[in-house]
Amino acid sequence: MEYFTISLLNGTVYGLLLFMVSAGLTLIFGMMGVLNFAHTSFYMLGAYFAYTLQKYISFWPSIILATVLAGGGGIVVERYFLRRVHRYGHAHELLLTFGLSYIIAELIKLFYGNYPTNYRVPESLHFSAFQIFGTDYPVYRLLMGGISLGMFLLVYLLLSRTRVGIVVRSAIYRPRMAEALGHNVPLVFMGVFGVGAALAGLAGAVAGAFYTTNPNMALELGVIVFVVVVVGGLGSLEGAMLASLIIGLSSSFAVGIDLSLVDLFAFFGAGEWAQGLGGLMELKVSSLSATIPFALMLIILLVRPSGLLGEKG
Amino acid sequence: MLTKMSVFKRSFIVLVLSLSCLLMAATVFAAPLRVAVVETLSGSQASTGLLYRSAVRYGIDKINAQGGWNGGSIQLLEYDNQGGVAGASEKVKAAIADGAQIIFQGASSAVGGQVTEDIRKYNLRNPGKEVLYMNVGAEAMELTGSKAHFHMFRISPNAEIRIGAVIEAMKENGNLGERVYSMNQNYSWGMDVEKTILDKSASLGYEVVGKTLHDVNKIQDFSPYVAKIKAVNANTVITGNWSNDLLLLMKAANDAGLQVRFGTAFLDQPGNLANAGDTALGHFIAHDFSLESTGDEGAAFGEDYKKKMGHYPSYVEPHTVMGIGLLGEALKNVADEDGKMNINKLVLAMEKATYHTPLGEISIRIEDHQVLLPMVVSEVSKDVKYKMDGTDLGYKPIKIMTAEEAAAPVQAATKIVRID
Repeated sequence: MEYFTISLLNGTVYGLLLFMVSAGLTLIFGMMGVLNFAHTSFYMLGAYFAYTLQKYISFWPSIILATVLAGGGGIVVERYFLRRVHRYGHAHELLLTFGLSYIIAELIKLFYGNYPTNYRVPESLHFSAFQIFGTDYPVYRLLMGGISLGMFLLVYLLLSRTRVGIVVRSAIYRPRMAEALGHNVPLVFMGVFGVGAALAGLAGAVAGAFYTTNPNMALELGVIVFVVVVVGGLGSLEGAMLASLIIGLSSSFAVGIDLSLVDLFAFFGAGEWAQGLGGLMELKVSSLSATIPFALMLIILLVRPSGLLGEKG
Repeated sequence: MLTKMSVFKRSFIVLVLSLSCLLMAATVFAAPLRVAVVETLSGSQASTGLLYRSAVRYGIDKINAQGGWNGGSIQLLEYDNQGGVAGASEKVKAAIADGAQIIFQGASSAVGGQVTEDIRKYNLRNPGKEVLYMNVGAEAMELTGSKAHFHMFRISPNAEIRIGAVIEAMKENGNLGERVYSMNQNYSWGMDVEKTILDKSASLGYEVVGKTLHDVNKIQDFSPYVAKIKAVNANTVITGNWSNDLLLLMKAANDAGLQVRFGTAFLDQPGNLANAGDTALGHFIAHDFSLESTGDEGAAFGEDYKKKMGHYPSYVEPHTVMGIGLLGEALKNVADEDGKMNINKLVLAMEKATYHTPLGEISIRIEDHQVLLPMVVSEVSKDVKYKMDGTDLGYKPIKIMTAEEAAAPVQAATKIVRID
């Protein structure tokens, strides 16, 4: 029971964090068709902005300002870089954002050095929310989960319940028609990209303090957020949420499972034979924890290429 | 106007050509010894590679300041292996083609395994043109075990030396406890650390209550691992983790309010203390140099290093500098042959050399070409003279081990084919 409860809590919060980072990516990916390789760079920028601002203003204002700055960065990238290569197609957009991710990482190293920074959770937030089976549960983890849930609700309501949401969805679904009806489609695209970057920036500003803020943080999450987006379905916010939670929970539960194929064979009475084979047979599930999301992606791509909640077939 | 330009151009070319002829003539008379650093100098793992580079540069500069070798300065070439095995293999070839006779490499045992095999094979195929591999930090056991060969020296500690030292010192100090958890990265280095922890349990009287090998530098959230440590009620976690895998593990344990001590191998990596802050307080590390315990001599080395390289030596730098000091001693006893270096002679001289460091003497063990070096085990504390990383924390030594005490036995798999 203890193992189950703790793994459930840990996995949920980690999943919610993954959602925070990948929400913006799925919006941009699904709605604009831009494969944004620089997405986690905005996550990193958010963390570094918040770290820098924290020296001058207090924690929460610096998080908000970092979010705005990361969004501003996204707007600049869309307006002055992406828009120029848009007509050459996906490959150019992909290459552009790929190069951009390198430039941002090198710039960060240039200004902040090669090592982790001392961006930490402020003392006022560094306490345990409650005790569970004798283990403290840090309040900051709950905060991260809460922010992620709030973000999901806000974006979801914005897209489905407001006029802005209608314009955005129509501009993406039928850009020509929306333009003919008098809507400024380039502005909508810029806005979507900016909001996507801001969401990543917010995630970075919040998570950078809890994990580590270092020049590799973009790279560390870079692949997993694409997995989330593909598993959840391109452009589907609910799908991203579902996929994040599945990945968070599965990697959290896998860590505690010290079983291998040997144990499976032992169940059928062939344990010793399997033990003798060694190699793959003895590989424990726990040591594969970080690999499980990729296996999941493979299965989803084979069985349901549009993702769990994706629309396009 | 045009003709004037071309006249000027032509005379310039003539000048350059004659100058380069002069330079070439000069190189024929006294071929300088060329050495190369093949390290990760760019990309995500560059931080460690750049430290190796500055330590090697510092060490070579020091030899050059004392006259270099054979009346000339040693030339240091730099190659970026971009963190990968394939890149390293490529760059080792390039370095050899550019005339490098000694190759320094340290970051990652996986890369080290490739470099050592490449050089072994090159030397087999090119007798008389041997190249020496100075392993400055690939600490997996097999490199001085089944993969050891005549033209490789490891001048860093290895898994058994480091982890053995930290466990022993914590035991003596009463900080080890009965229940030890082994948390390590799933590749050659982490497996060696795990094996050492298991091997030492009987003689030092503790129980390994859990062991985990996890993916390397892929995990963001270590809280499930902490739950595992908590579930078995461990007193101590011994880990060979480095970089983010160490930081995130320690932070997650602290956030869960877990009362465990960490015994580590690489806590002194720059940035770690800055990031962890008080979370690191009271944890232990085995390293091969300490500014706190080496008196004026150590302080002089530390200050000189800081003056030239911008920071106090820590992490992989001290043993790299000391090992190159050992190389400098060996170079003194190797005469040139027609103006050139004979690497086989250098290897024999290295085997005999000793070098005085602030912690004590270091030397090479002939049987497996592993350096024998003193070790320090320190506790992260505020009660220190040298504060690291811009924090109020530093490393307070709790035990110093001589080279003999710290040494691990020669592995059974070691078979060096000698060229005497």
